[in-house]
Amino acid sequence: MNKMMLGVIDATTYMESLRELTLHRSIAAVPFAGRYRLIDFVLSNMVNSGIESVAIFPKYQYRSLMDHLGSGKNWDLNRKRDGLFFFPSPDLNIPSPHLGAFQHFEQHIDYFLRSKQKYALICNSYTVCNIDYHSVLKRHIDNQCDITEVRYQGRSLEMFILETSLLLDLIANRVHTGYNSIVDVVRDSFHQLKICDYEHNGYVAIIDSIEKYFRHSLELLNPEVWQQLFVKCRPIYTKVKDEPPTKYTESAIVKNSMVANGCVIEGHVENSIIFRAVKIGKGTVVKNSVIMQKTQIGEQCELDSVIIDKDVKVENGVKIYGTERQPFVIRKGTVQGALMNQ
Amino acid sequence: MAKKKCIAMLLAGGQGSRLNSLTKQIAKPAVPFGGKYRIIDFTLSNCTNSGIDTVGVLTQYQPLLLHTYIGIGSAWDLDRKNGGVTVLPPYSEASGVKWYEGTAHAIYQNINYIEQYAPDYVLILSGDHIYKMNYAKMLDYHIEKDADVTISVIEVPWSEASRFGIMNTNEQMEIVEFEEKPTSPKNNLASMGIYIFNWSILKQYLEIDNANPNSSHDFGKDVIPLLLKEKKRLVAYPFKGYWKDVGTVKSLWEANMDLLNPESELNLFDHSWRIYSVNPNQPPQYISVDASVVNSLVNEGCIIEGSVEHSIVFQGVHIQKGAIVTDCVIMPDAIIGENVYIEKAIVPSAMEIPSGMIIRPSLFGEEIILVTKEWLEV
Repeated sequence: MNKMMLGVIDATTYMESLRELTLHRSIAAVPFAGRYRLIDFVLSNMVNSGIESVAIFPKYQYRSLMDHLGSGKNWDLNRKRDGLFFFPSPDLNIPSPHLGAFQHFEQHIDYFLRSKQKYALICNSYTVCNIDYHSVLKRHIDNQCDITEVRYQGRSLEMFILETSLLLDLIANRVHTGYNSIVDVVRDSFHQLKICDYEHNGYVAIIDSIEKYFRHSLELLNPEVWQQLFVKCRPIYTKVKDEPPTKYTESAIVKNSMVANGCVIEGHVENSIIFRAVKIGKGTVVKNSVIMQKTQIGEQCELDSVIIDKDVKVENGVKIYGTERQPFVIRKGTVQGALMNQ
Repeated sequence: MAKKKCIAMLLAGGQGSRLNSLTKQIAKPAVPFGGKYRIIDFTLSNCTNSGIDTVGVLTQYQPLLLHTYIGIGSAWDLDRKNGGVTVLPPYSEASGVKWYEGTAHAIYQNINYIEQYAPDYVLILSGDHIYKMNYAKMLDYHIEKDADVTISVIEVPWSEASRFGIMNTNEQMEIVEFEEKPTSPKNNLASMGIYIFNWSILKQYLEIDNANPNSSHDFGKDVIPLLLKEKKRLVAYPFKGYWKDVGTVKSLWEANMDLLNPESELNLFDHSWRIYSVNPNQPPQYISVDASVVNSLVNEGCIIEGSVEHSIVFQGVHIQKGAIVTDCVIMPDAIIGENVYIEKAIVPSAMEIPSGMIIRPSLFGEEIILVTKEWLEV
């Protein structure tokens, strides 16, 4: 079954509710869980399920996504046969209210025509979970389904399996049928196609707002959650950074936190997610926060319920507080002075 | 193959027998170091950072892990179309199988490899040391001094000079005498085992040395003394900075602890001279509510629920509740059980220390404990 599926990642989505984190990047490239980008989860799931051909359809602000993925080497997708394909939308005016817009696929139809894989798996880029698509495909075949939708507690995870030939038909006949996306097909009942559900058991986070981003990030500190997401035999791959191990100095106090490599921790960190190469100065207290890569926090700061994007410099003595429902978000690359947020 | 100005030959076949059980199944250059590296990462990263893109790695003793680890060299950006890393184990030829008999013989056996690149200079390195060095600067010095051979030297404390190969130099840094482990040293400039040769000279003398049945085919013992005797131009290159041979359990432990010393010259956080390694691809480390981590280096994939002080913790280590770890080096995937007390010890990869165990040097009359399987069973 290994070579039977194509992986298609629809990364065209834009969500106003994630605006603060997506000013300079697509949702797929939003940093998550200390060292990953959202797309790493779906991409690793595909690779771990034996998928060797993955097509990514990006639309807005995809520079950082391309930089992250490169040749696909970190996911073992730098192949002579198949591998990673990048299909940016040539037309930003294509409406895509739903995931899996056929018009986007049509513009790169050659990929689907040339591929030999019998089945296609269409996913969004912002659903975080650890899932084996083999089992989904097996059920799809055993139950003779036309389209299988993966769901979690009744909610769609926006993951669909169907035969590549059916996908080609749907794309070709979209004007005639009025179905403009895979979601349109699944939501409609006036057709002869057999739509099946596959219930995924295991942790799921759908990142579609800042609040959800924040809540799901801190949820990772629950061992039961991260044990479901980080499974030894199905690792999540990401871009390698060659950072040294994290250094905790004499003055460091760290409790209930997830810390990536390359950090220097001199302060107090509690209930937080700390990304790669973050510096936290002496006397600083960071609680209930998400601090993204290469951010430098000075001494004697107090940060509670904040999301700090990457490359931010927080000067000495800065105090910033958000709330659980409304975390304070600090944009990428900014400098936070002690007098700014009072 | 396109011509290269300088290529490196990295001697990585050493057994490192004084590291005891750590090198039972792996060669010394593959021994884990510094929370995420293997010893050879330092030399390979130095090559990449110095702009040397062609490296022959000579292996012999227990090469499986080393070969797998090096692979095609991508971790160090040494997967190149022209050059890159080439692993060079001993091989058989029409006249029979020849093991590498000494450092010089190992290079002699690979003359064909070197000739492919027709280099002007050959840099001889060993994979046994922890240091950061810009070989490009040493090459500039070699060219400027118009030397036949340049040997990198470092000042060692006089009290320890008799443990090293000592270079006696004149004021122009020309080497006038070489003494291997002298009982009464005249100088404290120790050879670091790093040589730059003009390839024409090296090739000529490797052939002479190989034809000598009385030679042990070693650079330090045979080739360098012969070059001195023949009045070749040997120059010492004084290196300043951190350099450590991690040949014993104690020195391996010390070098790891040096990383925790804020005054140490070995800075792993310098982005302009990164030390590259094969990435283990594990999630971030998790520090629990009960944990305390102070003055330590901790790598990804660790779960810390106990107390860690002044220690180096490699990827995938699990330190369970109530455990107290002080002055230790905990190698990849080891498990420190609940309420273990462990002090001044090296715990090898994937070893499990059973709950409640107390390990401290004073109990065993040792300075540093290398925990072994047999040891745990007693």
